[in-house]
Amino acid sequence: MTVLLASVIATLFGAGAFLVLKPDLFRVVVGMVLISNAANLALMASGLTRGRAPIHPLPDEPVADPLVQAMTLTAIVIGFGVTALLLGLSYRVYTSHATVDLDDLSLREARREQQLERERVEA
Amino acid sequence: MLSLALAAPWFVAVALVFLDGRRRSVGALAVAGVAVNVGALVAVAASVASDGPYEVVTGDWPAGVGITLRADALGTLFATLSSAVVLAALAYEVLSGVRARLFPALALFLTTGLTGIFLTGDVFNFFVFFELSMISAYVLSVYGGERRQIGGAFIFAVVNLLGSFLFLIAVGAIYHVTGSLDMAAIARRFGEVEPASAILIAVTFFVAFGVKLGLFPFHFWLPPLYTGARPAVAAMLAGALANIGSYGLIRFGAGLLPNELGFGAPVLLALGAASVLYGSIQALSRRAVAEVLAYSSIGQAGYILIALAVGGPAGYTAAVVYAVVNSVNKALLFLTIGVRGWLVGAAFVVGAFSVTGIPPSAGFFGKVALFQAAVAEQSVALGVLVFVGGALSFVYMFQIYQQDYWSGRDRAGVPRPAPRAVALAVAAVVLGLGVWPEPLLALTAAAAEVLAPGAAP
Repeated sequence: MTVLLASVIATLFGAGAFLVLKPDLFRVVVGMVLISNAANLALMASGLTRGRAPIHPLPDEPVADPLVQAMTLTAIVIGFGVTALLLGLSYRVYTSHATVDLDDLSLREARREQQLERERVEA
Repeated sequence: MLSLALAAPWFVAVALVFLDGRRRSVGALAVAGVAVNVGALVAVAASVASDGPYEVVTGDWPAGVGITLRADALGTLFATLSSAVVLAALAYEVLSGVRARLFPALALFLTTGLTGIFLTGDVFNFFVFFELSMISAYVLSVYGGERRQIGGAFIFAVVNLLGSFLFLIAVGAIYHVTGSLDMAAIARRFGEVEPASAILIAVTFFVAFGVKLGLFPFHFWLPPLYTGARPAVAAMLAGALANIGSYGLIRFGAGLLPNELGFGAPVLLALGAASVLYGSIQALSRRAVAEVLAYSSIGQAGYILIALAVGGPAGYTAAVVYAVVNSVNKALLFLTIGVRGWLVGAAFVVGAFSVTGIPPSAGFFGKVALFQAAVAEQSVALGVLVFVGGALSFVYMFQIYQQDYWSGRDRAGVPRPAPRAVALAVAAVVLGLGVWPEPLLALTAAAAEVLAPGAAP
């Protein structure tokens, strides 16, 4: 179980890291989602125990650790909010620069800076 | 008092979400909210100073089940400092006219998050407050709505989210190896953890906080962000948010994982030295004030890391003093960007003296603490590095002064007396701490004592 989880987490994190390094903003956002899920799984895996749900634990039976699940739930909610924020930011980039390609974006910004510099020199 | 410090900004923030922050009265309400928070934190700090650290378990749960809030000298010092910086920046922006509806609410969420981070005794709770303040910061970083800000803000958000997720993974790992999320319990049990996993966990924490602080290899998000942000937001980011990084390194490094910190000291020294030199040299080559200050932040963060790597009482005290002084300096310098006049020039000079470490300014005592750490370590190279870094910062700070204030060239913007008063008040604080440093030194010594081996964090 540990090996399986570890390889799933590693694959998710690796795929996420690969996507984050892409120049396309939406791929970056999807990459962040994958990485956040890798972190959530790692959190789950850190306290994985077999047993009954700890709603009404009986003295002679093992109980599953509820803490990691509570933590993961919190982390999922936070990840959700953060994803929404990142999508919002990408949309802002798209509306103001008309592109979601990071290379394109930096090129445009460099051009704009140059133009501003030229205007300053002329003034 | 502890609960008041957390609850006051939170409730005001939630109320402000529904109000238009551009109105003067709403801005005043926000300032009042942060002021209550600062007042409560000062009261907490006073009681910690006289009666020692204390804990509150939320929701009346028995200790060990509920989430603990713990106030000790280190946490309250950082919490009070960060909230005071946010207060100054918020007052500055409210006085010069808020431009976005949600700005005051976000500043209050940031205050809540920062207060929670520094006063929590639970590692996962640390993550939750950490995200609360980071998300407010992501939104704040686009405040002002200029086009070039958005690219920088996106990179800031992505890089810092990566840091947050690494932190989350490290929290999971630390729970796995120690079976607890309580900082005190972790510090007690961490000595028995298998060295290989202990080092891995320590490195993950280091990377997570290094990203927040903008240390040398993790700093690439920092200059575009600070250059694009409005002065008040830049002051909040550099003066309050960066404290998360320095506090995290101090608390998790020196407080929870001291053995691993000692083990990694040579690497930390090298990275710190690289940060100092890289930041200073980059700052020298820049002309825009915000850019110079951004690179200067990277350099100054290096000193904190060096002090931590030296370790021991002298090193920890130096790290705390330097983190505090640096945060006030950066808040002051970023606030002076947006205003002008000869008084602002004087305030800038105070900040520049403080960054360089010339008396009578607070920065002098930061540099003194660093030299003391170098002497305690008996390292000539360290002393030389601190001196060279100081000399470089003298050059880049006065380059800006010469270019912006001495040349007599009129700077953009209209003279606004009200926000100028805020910048001058911060300058007076920097100067006051330099003239009468005893309270600062006593507080930081008490904070460093928390980290002394054997003491519960």
